[in-house]
Amino acid sequence: MKKIKLIEIASARSGDKNDVCNIGLMAKSPEFYALLKEKVTPEKVKEHFKDLIKGPVIRYEWEAIESLNFICHQALDGGASRSLRMDTLGKNFSSHLLRMEIEIDE
Amino acid sequence: MNINSIKIAGAQGFYGDSPLAAIQIAKEKGADYLVIDSLAELTLSILQKDKLKDENLGYARDIEAMAYTLFPIAFKNGIKIVTNSGGLNPEVAAKKVSALLEKQGIKGIKIAFITGDNLLPQLHEMQQAGLTLENIDNGLPLSTSTSEITHANVYTGAHTISEALDKGANLILAGRVADPCLTLGILIHHFKWNLLPFPLGEGLGVRCQNDLNKLASGIAIGHLLECGGQASGGNSYAEWPMDYSISNLGYPIAEVFEDGSAIFSKLESQGGKISRNTIREQLIYEIHDPSNYITPDVIVDFTAVRIEELSTNKVRFSGIKGKPRPEKLKLSIGQMEGYMSDQFFFFSWPYAYEKALRFIETVKEIWATLPVKIERAEYSLVGINGIHGSAAPLPSKEVLDEMNEIGVRLAIKHSDLRTGKLAMQSIICLGLNGPPGLIGIPGWGKTDRIMLSLWPTLIPREWVKEKVEIIES
Repeated sequence: MKKIKLIEIASARSGDKNDVCNIGLMAKSPEFYALLKEKVTPEKVKEHFKDLIKGPVIRYEWEAIESLNFICHQALDGGASRSLRMDTLGKNFSSHLLRMEIEIDE
Repeated sequence: MNINSIKIAGAQGFYGDSPLAAIQIAKEKGADYLVIDSLAELTLSILQKDKLKDENLGYARDIEAMAYTLFPIAFKNGIKIVTNSGGLNPEVAAKKVSALLEKQGIKGIKIAFITGDNLLPQLHEMQQAGLTLENIDNGLPLSTSTSEITHANVYTGAHTISEALDKGANLILAGRVADPCLTLGILIHHFKWNLLPFPLGEGLGVRCQNDLNKLASGIAIGHLLECGGQASGGNSYAEWPMDYSISNLGYPIAEVFEDGSAIFSKLESQGGKISRNTIREQLIYEIHDPSNYITPDVIVDFTAVRIEELSTNKVRFSGIKGKPRPEKLKLSIGQMEGYMSDQFFFFSWPYAYEKALRFIETVKEIWATLPVKIERAEYSLVGINGIHGSAAPLPSKEVLDEMNEIGVRLAIKHSDLRTGKLAMQSIICLGLNGPPGLIGIPGWGKTDRIMLSLWPTLIPREWVKEKVEIIES
């Protein structure tokens, strides 16, 4: 087994709806999509973001574009209009997800 | 204009976006319509602040500049413009633009303005009629909240846009028409798509299903256009390192066909890129359940989408399905939450990390002695955890000891107009009394920025009475 970072096999884009942040995780190929589906669980995402995400994380699979969509609740310090954070809109949730490590067969 | 297809460009992605890409599209006649989305979730609160100061404001003010830069070229080339820049004051916005066009001697332009989404005046009446206006996030009725209400706007559908175009409008200034419905309205007008409320439940006929699929496609295309350059290679990890020009990023143009499919492209003269990746990453942006994207006119199912690269910067988009529209509409109520103030400071090598920590500790001690209430505070180290907070991994001690520089950001929430200024003044002394080499930059930081909370709720459609009116310059 070896560890890789998601940035090696995927790209991501995140955005806000009030206090909910969605992170789209897009595989660079169909094989990598299967890997993402297996390894990047909503539980793992929630843990990776520590205190940033206070509510549940829900995952949607989107086969047609080889993507996973993570809906992170209570993730934006109450929402952009009342957040004390620097990244009020959660634009960099994408960046942080791409840093996540997964274990793969060599 | 080719009657079998129509070209719509995403001309602006937010209030304050550059108009240059749209001006170039207008100059080259690259589209039949320009869609300008100005209303992000937060924007209405900003506009409400303007309107409180001056009854004649409350619209997205960049349309004043566009009345000189973009609109004249667009009208000259027969291009129509559809926007929700009217914000909280579409009528005043329309009159303003009309006056500015007349100043330039531009006549015969029909400007439509759409009202009816502002339900602030009706809120009390709605509650008296028995609507509890339950918050869809926490289930609480609005009566449980005592916060001052700043605005209340309902997300409305595409029918007013198509009606205004049917009446010959060259420019439409709407209020809170849902972003993608601006585009759908154009398509309904052009292709005479059927927008009747479809029956809820199972067993839709084939014809109904076809009609719904077209509406859903219109929404999907609108969704791809509504953030401007984000669909054509801007803000892109998928295309990183972005080996194309981004200083003159071309904005996305959709050539839409009667069946609801589209071909996305951009001007050849401009930078940016249209690829399966750029379309895919915008498609997933701010979507939740991809099989149930709820809009006022139709619920969209994106799961069978097909995105195919035809040639360089040309992508075919199809496969979108629709379900009948939701029974209720979403009303977003803004509430006053308080104020926030923030400030930045910097430390350099040596001991940058330790000095920053000591500084934060000292700030906390000073603030604890103040005769005002700081309700909430956020302390972060720019360069280490400013963006990702506790989720950011801390560099090793060796790296921390050798850091060239570290910034400190302090952000506080308070409920009055005294606390922010006092808190920030109380720590300026640390320039002389604090850890060595503190840097504060005059003019940085903001005090007393208004904080709002948004209360989303669902309301029956009959409470919404929209109106399309036209003035001619």
